[in-house]
Amino acid sequence: MDLRGSSVINFTRSAFGVVFRPIESATKVITRPVGNAWNGITHYNDVVEENHRLNDLVAFSEGSTISAIASVREAQELLSLNGLPTLAGIASCTAQVVGQSPSNFAQTVEINRGSECGLKVGMPVLNAAGMIGKITDVYNKRSVVMLLTDPGYSLAVKVVNIPAPTTTTTTTTLPGSPVAVTTTTTSTTTTTTLPRVTTTTGIPGFVPGVTIATSSTLTPLSGVSTVPAGDATPNQSGGSTGSEITVPPGLDVPLRETGALEGRGISRTPIVRFVENQPRFGAVRIGSPIISAGGATSLAPPDIVIGTVSRVVNRTGTLGPILEVTLAANLKNLNFVRILLYQPSSERVVTP
Amino acid sequence: MIERVLWLAENRYARLVLVGLMVLSLQTTVFNDMRPFGVCLQVMVLLAASSGLARGSDVGAIAGFIIGLMYDLVLTTPLGLCAAVFAIVGYLAGVGQSLVYEPTWWTRMLLGSIASAIGMILLPIASTITGATGILNTRVLFVALIVGLFNAVMSVPAERLCRWALTEQAAVR
Repeated sequence: MDLRGSSVINFTRSAFGVVFRPIESATKVITRPVGNAWNGITHYNDVVEENHRLNDLVAFSEGSTISAIASVREAQELLSLNGLPTLAGIASCTAQVVGQSPSNFAQTVEINRGSECGLKVGMPVLNAAGMIGKITDVYNKRSVVMLLTDPGYSLAVKVVNIPAPTTTTTTTTLPGSPVAVTTTTTSTTTTTTLPRVTTTTGIPGFVPGVTIATSSTLTPLSGVSTVPAGDATPNQSGGSTGSEITVPPGLDVPLRETGALEGRGISRTPIVRFVENQPRFGAVRIGSPIISAGGATSLAPPDIVIGTVSRVVNRTGTLGPILEVTLAANLKNLNFVRILLYQPSSERVVTP
Repeated sequence: MIERVLWLAENRYARLVLVGLMVLSLQTTVFNDMRPFGVCLQVMVLLAASSGLARGSDVGAIAGFIIGLMYDLVLTTPLGLCAAVFAIVGYLAGVGQSLVYEPTWWTRMLLGSIASAIGMILLPIASTITGATGILNTRVLFVALIVGLFNAVMSVPAERLCRWALTEQAAVR
């Protein structure tokens, strides 16, 4: 049986690769028409559908790409300004996927770059959409990448929860005025109407709901200036009717929770475990993005896109939920990939 | 020196290695792309089973070990895992063949299919024993079924190929 890290076995594998690769390459050239015919027969409809879908996707993406690039640059500048690690500061190597594992039980692909490009075991591998896996074996001119779906893969991740859109209605009575003002606040909009009477909050200066508002400025609608500005008292509800209400920045930052991403094989989606059931974090929403957590012992640097939450499986007691993840990258159709030349400390070989 | 090279060329296991290289190249190329129902067809396990069908359990076990070892060298599984499993497959196919009275083409198909399916079940079990997790599930049975069906179709020509490759040295001369 194998002894991991044995130089004899590594040499044997490399030597066999040297003999076998030319034969494999020749066979690949000869059998390509057969493979193409098979794919033409079995996947034609899928390819046509995918083509239509991708055309729509390209049209949709083109508009948002420019603003996204600008946002990413701003974020990178901010991170570098604060001395925080960014992906832009990590060198990378581009490679092409040249084959996948012929086994039914291993989720690996082979790329055409190896130790000559500086690749080492443990380095994270990405494509344009996001993380796809990590390098597990490195040879001179090729490497093996374990995909995220492999049962042996595990990675610390962050779940960025999307704040729920909430609606809060506050009814206040302005001093010296028979008219009450009701403010209805949602996560994105603010409307002001004129109700009959009644006061539901008596705390001066307190406006429930503003702490969860994502818009930083709440502007009353036109036509509500029934209260003269001079009659309103500062630090009281509705006191500054004619002016804008500014919410302190930072209260709308999305909440984050960490967990461990685990692959479950080819036919099942990866899951995130060990997400704590924190009341502050709230219920994890479907569609919440999942990104790498980073850290000294993590397999990947922080903030690499992995996917989104597709299903939340709640468990009883103090056990946190299990999140099923839809990966951002399409692992069935990999071509060019990027390897970050970032070797986690857990994968480094300790020399005596 | 030339005598030694000739002896090596006439050796049946040397021929098996050459045949195995060819089949392995097919395994990693065309059969790697053709995945009916999402299952990668396994012609290497077919070669091991066919060796047992062609030349009996003892030769089948040795041939299976060699074929499995070659397969191990291109996989990321522990070296020796496929070798051990394929040796069992070759041995079982040879034993099965010896139990059949007047074997016919369809009994060979059936035995090749069953031996391949057993190999596809043993492989994840062996992987689990060596520390792999999450691969021993119900999908293993589906994989074994598909591989078994395909290998049944291919077992007759594969058995003829192995019969030729594993011919005794004296018979070649």
